[in-house]
Amino acid sequence: MLKQIPGYLKDWRLHGVVLLIVLVAETIGALSFEVGAGMILILPMIYAFILGIAFVFTPVIKEKQFKHSETLTTALIGLLVAKVSLNIGPAISMIVQVGPAILLQEIGNLGTVLLGLPLAILLGVKREAIGMTFSIAREGSLAIINDKFGFDSPETRGVFSIYLFGSIFGAVFFGLMATLLATFTPLNPLSLAMASGVGSASMMAASSSSLSAVYPEMAAEIQSLASASMILSVATGFFVSIFIALPLAEKMYYLITRRKPAKEEIEVAAEKKETGS
Amino acid sequence: MTKQLYHTVLALILSGVIVLIGNWIGYEVIPRDALMGMLILILITAAGFTLKMILPWKTIPGILYVAGISIILSLPITPGSAQVIEWASAINIQAFTTPLLAYAAIGIGNSLADFTKLGWRSIVIGSVVFLGTFLGSAVIAEIVLRIQGVI
Repeated sequence: MLKQIPGYLKDWRLHGVVLLIVLVAETIGALSFEVGAGMILILPMIYAFILGIAFVFTPVIKEKQFKHSETLTTALIGLLVAKVSLNIGPAISMIVQVGPAILLQEIGNLGTVLLGLPLAILLGVKREAIGMTFSIAREGSLAIINDKFGFDSPETRGVFSIYLFGSIFGAVFFGLMATLLATFTPLNPLSLAMASGVGSASMMAASSSSLSAVYPEMAAEIQSLASASMILSVATGFFVSIFIALPLAEKMYYLITRRKPAKEEIEVAAEKKETGS
Repeated sequence: MTKQLYHTVLALILSGVIVLIGNWIGYEVIPRDALMGMLILILITAAGFTLKMILPWKTIPGILYVAGISIILSLPITPGSAQVIEWASAINIQAFTTPLLAYAAIGIGNSLADFTKLGWRSIVIGSVVFLGTFLGSAVIAEIVLRIQGVI
């Protein structure tokens, strides 16, 4: 019977370390400190992330554990989605009421292009910028870019770099960003909850659990809206990327850089000869 | 397929145990009180992942099925929905995110070599891309909610 259990589940070293991290992180609990007018919350998940990275550099955690952790991540994301989506049913009439806001805020996901692309060009990034900024670069985006530009294109290199960034820092970044925006901007928690619903369950969870910690009395509403918005993003994200975000990123890129098309050709060619960045 | 399902269920049970322990230490809910909630969540997730395995539309992410089942179970017209929600409410959402980020952080070991190749530009641009989607959505939501008079 025990033989049938796959290796990643019997990796007691991995699960033991995670359990230890959880015990330490939850024993410390959330820390809050006042900054100016607001209060910043540092949640146990942030320490868990830092401790996890620290363990990567110790001999306790080896390559085997790196690989095994992926399956458990998938399982936990599944449970998390099941948990937050249970908030949707009781809130269904509220969600219908704020339906126009949920639908329209999906357009806000184009903020990746509007904010990110000019910055990328300003920093001297070439066609990589298109892949870097048309979406939050989850798995679907890799497929879209790969399909359109080919594996060996600057666009694909761009989307991969943000994919990597998101895989490493995405959830932590969303958690901290939600806390900061909730504390230091006049944005309503309901708006922030909807914004949490990007096409990634772990980013949504990090963001909405941070918001729930800042506004405990609104936790159920926050989670139901974040979850509804995430479901919408996941369901529509693929099409929005192909038909709106990617064409917009391309158009904007050539619009901004149009003044120097000849120079750009040379630069792109020169860049291909370079290795690495 | 049954083997795959069996493995999924085992992984869910293991994750569930870790979540219940974290929920106990951090949020003072004894595992026994949160057990029914966890069982329900494991069943929902296993059912969702099973649908993904057996249904022909492979591009649909498994979590959409999971979410769909949860929504149906939690609707006021579904018999027993109040009970299901009450059971699940014994588990704090942070009890999931803490172990999730611990596993995710360890998984980073896989891409550490790639990460060192990631330039500072990618880190700056990545941050702004994520800020862009969040802020863009939040501002639009805020405007629409104010026009509607909801907030």
